[in-house]
Amino acid sequence: MLRAQSLLTTLTAMALIILVGLPVLFILLQAVFPEFARGSFEGAFSKLVILTENDRLMMQARNTLLLAFSVMIGCLIFGLPIGILRGLFHVPGARVWDVVFLIPFLIPPFIAAIGWMMTLQPRGYLFHLVGFDMGRFLFSFMGVAFVMTLNLFPLVYFAVSRALEMVGGRFASAARVHGARPLQAFFLITLPLSIPAIAASLLIVFAMSIEEFGTPAALASRTGFEVLVTGIYTRLSDWPIDLSGAALGSVMLMAMVLAAFTLQNWIATRRSYISQTGKPADLEKADLARWRWPVLGLFALVALIGVVIPLAAIAVTSFMGTISGGLRWSNLDLRHYEPIFRSGSRAWQALMTSGWLAVLTAFATAAIGGLVAYIVVRGTGRGRAMMDGLSVLPNAIPAIVLAVGIILFWNSPYQPISLYGTAAILLIAYIGILLPYPIRYAVARLRQISASLDDAARVAGAGQLQALRHVTLPLMAPSLIAAMMLVFAIASRELVASIMLAPAGMRTVGTFVFAQFEQGSVQTGMAMSMIAITITSGILLAVNLWLARQGSSAFSG
Amino acid sequence: MLRTTVLAASLGLMGTFAHADTLTFYTAGPGGLADALAEAFQAETGITVNVFQGTTGQVMARLEAEEANPQADVVVSASWGSAVDMHERGLLMEYTSPHAVNVPDFLKYSHYVAQGISALAIAWNTQSGTPRPSEWTDLASEDYRDLVTMPDPAQSGSAFDLIAGLETAMGDEAWELLGALADNGMIVPGPNAAALNPVLQGAAAAVFGAVDYISYARTAAGETVEVIVPESGTVIAPRPMFILESTSNADAAKAFVDFVLSDAGQALVADTWMMPARADVEGLRPGINDLNVIDVDEDAVAARRDEIIARFHETVTNR
Repeated sequence: MLRAQSLLTTLTAMALIILVGLPVLFILLQAVFPEFARGSFEGAFSKLVILTENDRLMMQARNTLLLAFSVMIGCLIFGLPIGILRGLFHVPGARVWDVVFLIPFLIPPFIAAIGWMMTLQPRGYLFHLVGFDMGRFLFSFMGVAFVMTLNLFPLVYFAVSRALEMVGGRFASAARVHGARPLQAFFLITLPLSIPAIAASLLIVFAMSIEEFGTPAALASRTGFEVLVTGIYTRLSDWPIDLSGAALGSVMLMAMVLAAFTLQNWIATRRSYISQTGKPADLEKADLARWRWPVLGLFALVALIGVVIPLAAIAVTSFMGTISGGLRWSNLDLRHYEPIFRSGSRAWQALMTSGWLAVLTAFATAAIGGLVAYIVVRGTGRGRAMMDGLSVLPNAIPAIVLAVGIILFWNSPYQPISLYGTAAILLIAYIGILLPYPIRYAVARLRQISASLDDAARVAGAGQLQALRHVTLPLMAPSLIAAMMLVFAIASRELVASIMLAPAGMRTVGTFVFAQFEQGSVQTGMAMSMIAITITSGILLAVNLWLARQGSSAFSG
Repeated sequence: MLRTTVLAASLGLMGTFAHADTLTFYTAGPGGLADALAEAFQAETGITVNVFQGTTGQVMARLEAEEANPQADVVVSASWGSAVDMHERGLLMEYTSPHAVNVPDFLKYSHYVAQGISALAIAWNTQSGTPRPSEWTDLASEDYRDLVTMPDPAQSGSAFDLIAGLETAMGDEAWELLGALADNGMIVPGPNAAALNPVLQGAAAAVFGAVDYISYARTAAGETVEVIVPESGTVIAPRPMFILESTSNADAAKAFVDFVLSDAGQALVADTWMMPARADVEGLRPGINDLNVIDVDEDAVAARRDEIIARFHETVTNR
């Protein structure tokens, strides 16, 4: 029985090492040994001098940090006020707003950026509608930060509103009972107690803006603003390629994300904040009274900028016969949707490929993630300690870094079985990139399930695996299913790893759309995006409704 | 049981690509042409063609990244110099297709042959409210301030060829022109379509160095774009097709090259508004003889690629 468990632990650890550990090791080796990819260990550290010289890499690193800080501030401006209002007051249509602010997660950032470009650039949709454009703003550092903020601010909104709901009610009422005025209670009790949750969400924003590829890829070349992610991509996708530079950039990127996640983890687990253990009792929220309409106006404004405009720009573009035809009814045309629904067309194949890959990724990540979580929470001894360390790793690896590592590892001269150039390589990359979601969800869920249920099953004569199968697994199922759906939604439109790793003959939704903007037709790219957004939001909405019936939310993890 | 299903499905997915009778084809755009050639070839021979289609920069980068473990059998690039370079490094297989008889001599070599030819031109939005440009230098004038785009020569093989060609024809004045264009607010948004898209919407008025067939195709699709070839001369960008020495499927690769140069294959090339490589196949648009072509020493230019790209960055993008 013990052997079964240690075998399981070993297999899971091996999976993590192969999926994430070895690719990262190969990046480190490539960063140190410039000739590593050709099988030589000569010239160790000789490439590191470019860090001290006036190289683009250092400029990109600075830009990356600058952008991430700006996006953090942007997300505070966009997410904090509405988050506070949603957490403390009866905002009319609160549940509807929650759904609305989920939408930015569903719009692929690359597409959103193109949508903003079509809207704000000179002679764009804004100009057609109101007679002026904001091209100068969009194609600037501020513009890139603005578009990225709109992708990420919901993280802050949800974190803040949840935290305030938990803290605000009980503790603020306690303060009120002791004579504090409402504002006093807010600034002295509610806000300080919510700060960890807000800080944690900001650090996730920070980490996600560091690793984001789509927005800088769409806007950076226009602004001359390069970040590490686009720099790594260029070093690998423009001839002549620079493997060592890409590896060095990857190491820097990894260090930044790791630092952010470590800090986030420290804040989130430093003390047991009430918000995490307390039951969310039905809280007395304050009435907005005469502030009702101004508050609704603010929500509507944020929704307009963050959701309606980008979505409308994507939809409008996909329905335009010709781009130069502009916004005219006579230019309305459905022809760009036609090839996508023609069975057997390249677009159709891309849709099918992404569908299959996303389904397989969802199952595989749930299986591995569930096992990792089980060992981390319920395991014992060295196996548990090792798994605890390993399970943090996928979190700290941006998609583009993992892609670089996968190229170096699976295409290296030392590799006896080369999966590079097959569809399997994409599956491996997706699993590595998306593993953090099921791990996070399953660990959180397992911590809520008392181990005594397991013990009861054991006392009743069940073996350990039987107890796992008949007791723990069914209890974990809802959170694993929620994670799988999220994985499906993200995998079905994954961009950067797909561009770098997809073998010849294979197209995914992400690469298809990207190629449309590089070489084909903007409208077809937008039509494909509309279909992908519709499918993923349909799935997420269905799951959220299903989970609401089970009494939890897919996004509270 | 669940895991067995997943395993079986992933093996099935892998199996699709491990089939013996397949050919791997890396090609610069347009994507539609690559797919059409692959489908027609498969219909004729039963050999499946796996296509990777990207910019010339992406295709060459992939070839380089895979040098230890080459994947491609046949390659089409949009930059003649890249074929010259790869041949010098001994990476290409010698093959002369029987159909190559009808390809003009300057468009073929023992190891590579043109698939089709594009020319570089000005693509101008007729609704932009600007005067119709007729020369490269026109675009540096006040009329086009902040209204010109150019494809990035680091990503677009043909844009690179244009710079090399203008340098051949004009000497240092070519760099002065590029500097003047940059002073005039010219932007370099990415590869070819990225440069053309702002012109379609009207954010810019003209592309300096548009790939002509892409623009012709957009005109045919109803966009208000006109292709203007300056009389002072332009460069043509023949697109070299070659077989990699490392191919494990030489017969299929040769058959594919033959097919691309056959009547059927060249007709598909012509359908994309490119000039077919074979002189005896009619194109949909003006041919080489209608253009004033600047003669470029490809070998010399290929050797100076890094230098030219660096100077472009210095003069235009990173000022």
